[in-house]
Amino acid sequence: MTNASHEVAKGPHHASGAAPSALSAHSIVKRFPGVLANDSVDFDVLPGEVHTLLGENGAGKSTLAAMLCGLYQPDAGYLTRNGERIALLSPRAGLQHGIAMVHQHFRLVERFTVAENVILGSRDLSYKLNRSELEDKVAAVAESYGLPIEPGATVADLSVGQRQRVEIVKALYQGAEILLLDEPTAVLVPAEVEKLFENVHAMTQAGKSIVFISHKLGEVVEISDRVTVLRNGRVTGHVSGRGTTDTKELARLMVGRDIELTTQRASHATGHEILQIRDLSLTVGGVSVLSDISFNVHAGEMVGIAGVAGNGQRELADTIAGLISPTSGSIAISGSMTTDRGPIHARELGLAYVPEDRLGMGLVPSMSILDNLLLTRDRRVVVDRTTVRPEATRLIEQFEIKANGPDHMARKLSGGNAQKVLLARELSGGRTATKLLVVCSPTRGLDVGAIETVRALLDDARSAGQAILLISEDLDEVMSLSDRIFVLYRGSVVHETPGESAELATVGAAMAGLTPEDKS
Amino acid sequence: MRSPIRIVFEQRNETAKHLSVLVPLLSVVAALVVGALFLLATGYSPLETYSNMLSDGFTSSRGMTDTLGLSTVLICTGISAAFAFQMNLYNIGGEGQLYLGMIGGAWAGLALGDQLPTFVMIPVVLLVGSLAGASWILLPAFVRSRLGTSEIVTTLLLTYIAASLVKHFVYSPGSFFVTKNSAFPQGRLVPDSASLSGIGDTSLYPTFFLVILIALALFWVVKKTEYGYRIQVISDSPRAAHYAGINANRTTMSVMLISGALSGLGGAVLIVGPFGRLDPGIILLGYGYAGIVIAALARNNFSAIIVSGILFAGLRSGGDKLQISTDTPIHIGVMLQGAILLFALGGEAFRRYHIHAVRTERATQ
Repeated sequence: MTNASHEVAKGPHHASGAAPSALSAHSIVKRFPGVLANDSVDFDVLPGEVHTLLGENGAGKSTLAAMLCGLYQPDAGYLTRNGERIALLSPRAGLQHGIAMVHQHFRLVERFTVAENVILGSRDLSYKLNRSELEDKVAAVAESYGLPIEPGATVADLSVGQRQRVEIVKALYQGAEILLLDEPTAVLVPAEVEKLFENVHAMTQAGKSIVFISHKLGEVVEISDRVTVLRNGRVTGHVSGRGTTDTKELARLMVGRDIELTTQRASHATGHEILQIRDLSLTVGGVSVLSDISFNVHAGEMVGIAGVAGNGQRELADTIAGLISPTSGSIAISGSMTTDRGPIHARELGLAYVPEDRLGMGLVPSMSILDNLLLTRDRRVVVDRTTVRPEATRLIEQFEIKANGPDHMARKLSGGNAQKVLLARELSGGRTATKLLVVCSPTRGLDVGAIETVRALLDDARSAGQAILLISEDLDEVMSLSDRIFVLYRGSVVHETPGESAELATVGAAMAGLTPEDKS
Repeated sequence: MRSPIRIVFEQRNETAKHLSVLVPLLSVVAALVVGALFLLATGYSPLETYSNMLSDGFTSSRGMTDTLGLSTVLICTGISAAFAFQMNLYNIGGEGQLYLGMIGGAWAGLALGDQLPTFVMIPVVLLVGSLAGASWILLPAFVRSRLGTSEIVTTLLLTYIAASLVKHFVYSPGSFFVTKNSAFPQGRLVPDSASLSGIGDTSLYPTFFLVILIALALFWVVKKTEYGYRIQVISDSPRAAHYAGINANRTTMSVMLISGALSGLGGAVLIVGPFGRLDPGIILLGYGYAGIVIAALARNNFSAIIVSGILFAGLRSGGDKLQISTDTPIHIGVMLQGAILLFALGGEAFRRYHIHAVRTERATQ
C-alpha cells in the first residue's frame, strides 16, 4: 500500500499552491424521489489532468457528471470554473463555459456526415454551408489531437470506436476545455481502448481536463492522475498518483468490503455433450448473421463466446433458445433435436436462458418476482401461486435478493437484483432440471459486489454439472471463467482457444477481425 | 429580475393507492364543475339541475331501477372496451359490435322464437348476439394479429358500416326485421319467448345480474388464470412473451374476439330487455362509445367498471329525464360524459407524476 491519500478526505483535494482548478464542485447535493443521489460531494479537476470518478452503478457518478455539464441542477452546493462561481442551467450553458460531455450512448445523426454531425448545434453558421471549408476545419481540429477521422464519411458507416472519436471531436470543435467521458470504454475492443487512451493523453498534453467516469478498475489505474471514489452518493476516498494505486484498495473503497474476482475454471472432468451445434447459419433479410457455426458444450463445462456487440451473439443465443429458426444447420440438446421446435420444447429438454435484456425480455417489469418466476414454467389453466410462493421466498433468501418479498415488482429491483431473480429462476429449473444454461452478458451494468455473486453462481452451476454457454462482451469475464473460448466475428467463429492458455492480445485481435496472419 | 417558474413533472416511483381512487373521483367532480359553468352560461341553475339529476338518476327508487337497467348495456360495452384495452388493443368499435349484437339477437328471436321455450330462447338470443358482435371484429382482429394493422382505424370504420346495416334492415322494404304491413318502418317485436320482463314492473331486467356476474368472472380470469397471465405478459413486454414461448398472435385474436362478443352481448341484452326489436334509434344513443369512457374511468378494472357503469347510467338517465321534467337540454348528460373522459385521462398525469412548480435559479454571472 502506498502513502497516497487513501483516507476519506472531505473537501476538495487541492494540490498546495497550484493554480485554481479548471472546474470544481462544492458540497453538491442532489435528491431524486426517494434517493439521495449526491450527498455533499466535492470534486475538482485541474487543467491537463485526468480525474476519474469511480463508483458502482447507482453510486451517483453519472448524476454528478450530469450536474458538471449542466444537464441537471444541484439542489444545494455550487460549481466554480477557474475559481469563479457559475450556474449551469443547460448543457448549452455548460458548453459556453467549455464543458462538454461525451455520452455512453452516442448522440449522432447516422445519416449525416462526420463534419455535419460535428457542426450540428453550432450557432454561428451561415445560411449556406460551405462544406469543404467546414470539413477542413473539422479535420484540422481532429488532427491537432491525433484523432484520425474522415470528415466526409457518413456516420452510419463508422465503427463504434470511430463514432466515439466523432463525439470527442465535436466537443473539441465546440471549444471544450473540460471533457466528461461517461464509461467510454464500455463499447470498445481492447485495441480501440488503447487508441482512446492515446487520444486522452494528447488532449491533456494540450491542457484539456478530462473527467473519466468508469467502474472498471484496471483501466482507471492506467489512465488516471487522480481518482475520486463514490459510494451511495458520498465520496469515500480521493486517491492520487498514477500507478501508485492498487485495484484492491479501490475496490474496497468502491464496495465497502474486500472483493475477490479471481479466475475460475472447471474443477471436475467435463461430462458428455449436452449442446451440439452443427453448421448453424442464419440469414435475416438477406444479410448473413451467423454462418457455419459448429461446436459442442459438455456437462460441467463453461464455453465462452467473446466478440464485440452486434457480431451475431444475440442471434446465436436466441437460436439455441428456440426463439429463432436457423436458416440451415441443427441444434440438439441432450441428443434431441430442437431446431424449429420453439422455446418451450427446448426448455423441456433442460434449457435455461438468461438473455442480455433483463427487464423486458427475461423479466416482465410490471409483474412481481413471484409471477416472473412463473414465466418459464408450466402454469396450468388456473395459475397456482400459493404453492410457488414458499419457493419464491426461499429463492429470494438463497440468492440474497434485496426485495420486500415475492410480491416485489420486477421494475423496482436494482439491476443486480433483477439479474439475480433471472438467474434464480433459470438455475432452479422450470419444466425440468436445468442441463444447459445459456447466459448473455450476465454481469453487464452490475456493480462489483453483484458481479462477484453472479460469477460464483455460474461457477456453482458448472460444478453441479450443468453445461454453460457464456456469451459476453466483457472480455475479462470470458477469459477468467471459460474453459474454452470462441471468438465470434461477423457471424463466424474466427478463433478458438482453451481458456487457460488464452492470450488477451490474440483474442482481442480476433474480436477486431484480425487473423493472426494479418497481425504479423 | 424575478426568476421564472417552471412546472416540473417528476415520475412517481410508486403510485399511491389513494390516488387510484381519488383521481377518478376528482375527474367526476371537475367535470361537474365544468358542466356547471355551461349551465350558468346558458341561464340554468346548476344546483337545481344537478339535484334533479341526482334524484332522477339515483336517489328515487324509480330513478335507481332505471339507472341499473341502463347500466346493464353500459357495463357490457365497458368490459368490452377494457378487455381489449388491457392488452393495448384499442377496440373503439364497440358501438358497431353492439349494433351487430342487436341485429343478431333480433334475428335469433324472430327466426326461432315461436319454436322454443323462454329458458332456451333467452340464452340463444344472447349467444347469437355475442357471436354477431364477435364477427364484426373478426376482420380487424385478423389483420391486427397478422399484419399489425391499426385496430383503431378498422374497428372505427366498421362502426359506420354497422350503422348503415341497421338502417338497411329497418328501412328497406320487405325486410325480415320489420312489421310487414306497417305504414311506418319499424322493427318487428320478438316473440314473448325471447323477451324478459322487468323486475317488479321496472326497467331493471334480470340480465343486469348476468352482466355483473360476467364482469366479476372476467376480473377473476384476468387475475387468476393462465389466460390472464398471458395477457399481462404480452401487454407489458411482447419480447418477454416471445421469450417464454407465448403465442401473442393467437392471444391478440382471442382477446379482440371476446371484446367484440361482449359488445355484441350488450346489443342482445337490449333485444331481450327494453327494446324488444331492432331499433335504428340505437344509433343516436352512443352506448358503445360510452363504454370507452367507462373503461377509462375504471382504468380497465373489471370490478370498478360495475361502479363507473352505474355512475354513467345515472348521469345519462338523470340527464334524459331533465328534458322531460324541465327544459334543460338533454345533452348535459352527454357533455358531462365527455368532460369526465377528458379529466380522467388528464388525471393520469397526476397519478404517474409528482407535479410541482419550482423557481429556477438564475446564473450569477
